[in-house]
Amino acid sequence: MIEYLQKNAGEIITALGQHIYISVIAAVIAIAIAVPLAIVLIDHPKGGELVSQIAGVIQTIPSLAILGLLIPLVGIGTLPAIIALVLYAIMPIFQNSYSGLTNIDPILIEAADAFGVSKRFKLFRVQLPLALPMIISGIRIAVVLIIGTTTLAALIGGGGLGTYILVGIQTNDDHALVVGAVLSALLALLANAIIKILGRVSLKKIVIVIGTLLIMFGGYTITTKLLAQRTQTITIAGKMGGEPEILINMYKDLIEANNPNVNVELKPNFGGTSFLFKALNSGKVDIYPEFTGTVMQSLVQTSDKVSHNPQKSYQEAKRLLQKQFGLSYLKPMKYENNYALAVRSDDAKKYKLSTLSNLTKVSDQLTAAFDPDFYQQSDGYPGLKMTYGIEFLSVKTMEPALRYQALANRKIDVTDAYTTDPQLRQYNLTTLKDDHGFFPSYQGAPLMKTSFAKKNPQIVKSLNQLADKISTREMQEMNYQVSVKHRKAAVVANEYLIKHKLIEQ
Amino acid sequence: MIEFKNVSKEYEQGIALGNLNLKIEAGELFVLVGPSGSGKTTLLKMINGLNKPTHGEILIAGQNIIKSDINELRHNIGYVLQSGALFPNMTVEQNAAIQLDLLGWNDEKKYQRISELMTRVGLDPTTFLQRMPSELSGGEAQRVGIVRALAGQPNIVLMDEPFSALDPISRVQLQELVMELHREIETTFVFVTHDMQEALKLADRLAVLHHGELQQVGRPQEILAHPANQYVKNFFDNDTSVAIFLQQVIDAGFGVRQTNEVAIPMGDDQTIFDWSREINDHPDQLIVVDNIILRSEDLVNYMATLRVGVIK
Repeated sequence: MIEYLQKNAGEIITALGQHIYISVIAAVIAIAIAVPLAIVLIDHPKGGELVSQIAGVIQTIPSLAILGLLIPLVGIGTLPAIIALVLYAIMPIFQNSYSGLTNIDPILIEAADAFGVSKRFKLFRVQLPLALPMIISGIRIAVVLIIGTTTLAALIGGGGLGTYILVGIQTNDDHALVVGAVLSALLALLANAIIKILGRVSLKKIVIVIGTLLIMFGGYTITTKLLAQRTQTITIAGKMGGEPEILINMYKDLIEANNPNVNVELKPNFGGTSFLFKALNSGKVDIYPEFTGTVMQSLVQTSDKVSHNPQKSYQEAKRLLQKQFGLSYLKPMKYENNYALAVRSDDAKKYKLSTLSNLTKVSDQLTAAFDPDFYQQSDGYPGLKMTYGIEFLSVKTMEPALRYQALANRKIDVTDAYTTDPQLRQYNLTTLKDDHGFFPSYQGAPLMKTSFAKKNPQIVKSLNQLADKISTREMQEMNYQVSVKHRKAAVVANEYLIKHKLIEQ
Repeated sequence: MIEFKNVSKEYEQGIALGNLNLKIEAGELFVLVGPSGSGKTTLLKMINGLNKPTHGEILIAGQNIIKSDINELRHNIGYVLQSGALFPNMTVEQNAAIQLDLLGWNDEKKYQRISELMTRVGLDPTTFLQRMPSELSGGEAQRVGIVRALAGQPNIVLMDEPFSALDPISRVQLQELVMELHREIETTFVFVTHDMQEALKLADRLAVLHHGELQQVGRPQEILAHPANQYVKNFFDNDTSVAIFLQQVIDAGFGVRQTNEVAIPMGDDQTIFDWSREINDHPDQLIVVDNIILRSEDLVNYMATLRVGVIK
């Protein structure tokens, strides 16, 4: 654990900084909206009630749904995260401020009126100071809520401590998970304590502190924006998991090596297929790696059966993406991340297994367990059985996470696999060749808008360096390094490119 | 001088004040008295514009208040509320100086004025000025409330049942204080109370209100001697006739221990009115209450100690 912290200290601090940055901005904006709104509505109880209800309804929308809705409107990154957080934080701040301001002993308001005070005097010397404890407690609730919810910003590339939680879950890395979870919890506790102390300070000082923070963050944002404008920034995102993260790091290194004026921003672990595809179409993401099989089965509309021939499958995917969405699909890499059947390597030797046809003869001596989806889908086990005439001794379904271990521990003899899964290497398993071409082909290639490709021929050229590179075994090895050995995707990607002379050291 | 002309106040639920005419002279201590719901507080709050009449007009020194700037008007009116109503977030000094802030006094003048008044109401400035309202007793808070109302040397001071929440001892002390202050500074005081005793004790003149109607206006003695109607008569009757028991006469120090004189025994729950009837029938008749002998002169002497208004 300590080793992990030492190795990643710099990045953890950056993530912590991002987390604080997002949280503070969201909190300040929420305060700046909710408190004045409560003040304006002091004498309009119907308006106050309405705002309370609207804020309450927003509160009930799941945060993921809000993030999803915001992507086509404002893109990805910190902006939608901040908007979503602000929407959530308004309700506790508004409700507390409003009830604090409207539940002041009426006799005190009467006294203030009777002495002929100005509206400003009444607000700043009477109403706000008396409502302050309630307002502060609303802010406290909101800030704790924000710090917790900010972990979701990582889902849409907003950064922050949530990145560690996500990475931890995806790569099964407990260290990252603990770092993300513990730090965000500590941050929430700390913020809670600081605000409690602020509650005892006078209103004037609080206004000064908030004002200073606003100016500081405003300055920071403007300077970073100004600095960033000098170079072209392109955004590359990847799906959940280690393999897409390795690929996008390769893209980044290749592009930046050949285009010194281009700054590549990476959004690893960005989300599922449809999420990314939408982000690409709305221009929030410029490039992401996609598989031919996924294109044919989920993204484009086609009545044809998906081809098992990699070249045909790619050409068809490319044509349909261009025709239906105006997207350019660059040349694919060599490896295929297909469905396959895996056996222990010693069995492969013992039964002389290298292809699925080989398996047919000995299948009646073997037990198999499959992922429930694979077991049921026609392009899974049922189709396989028909094509190869395989008849196992017994077949059952099993949780995908458990099946590799079960195979390694000799509880079963055959299971389904993806050809680049690192566990194949970890447990010394062999995949059998699909010699009758039954499984659809999954080849990875960069996907982008055609308009982007035309405007940036240099970037297309850089990315095409990966065409027909990276064998299945190499990809499997890199996945093993990242997901099992917990090495950094950026480092593993960089090593590969240097080793194969695609970039210079 | 404050003048109400054909003033009425209507709410959706009904009429709070009905077509009321009233003149309060400059410099007098004027009391509005009546049971709750009689409209007395509504009337008081019309003077500083906290309440607006539905019909009619209110003139202060001949000027219709609707036509003057409401905040300017309020800067010249002191206001004492129930239970002090000090702002809990400000010190005693800040509370007391609110109107001075609004009038633009400088810090030194403010401090002098507040210290002087604090001393006058019996609160040591060095001890009390920096305290928070939560550190004051009810009586102290109300004294600060009075300081706050008087600080700006207003032409009019309004008091809305200021002593109703106080204990009897503090109440009496503060009633005395209000009367003294009124004698010292020639300002119009308008005082609202539901306590008829308090009204009779404080008022130069008083107005009896019932169901939003003015029943009678006059000096305490006039009203007691010539109640305008049965309501006014009952309002004061009730309170006086049941109030004074023979025990109270003995508690006031009258009477001697039983000797061997002949006396008619009476209970300590009988009133001085029962005793008067006895004397009326048999002058010089002694009575004995719980072993204490009372003579006819004791009744006269006792009555002489009472304030105006307690008896008819």
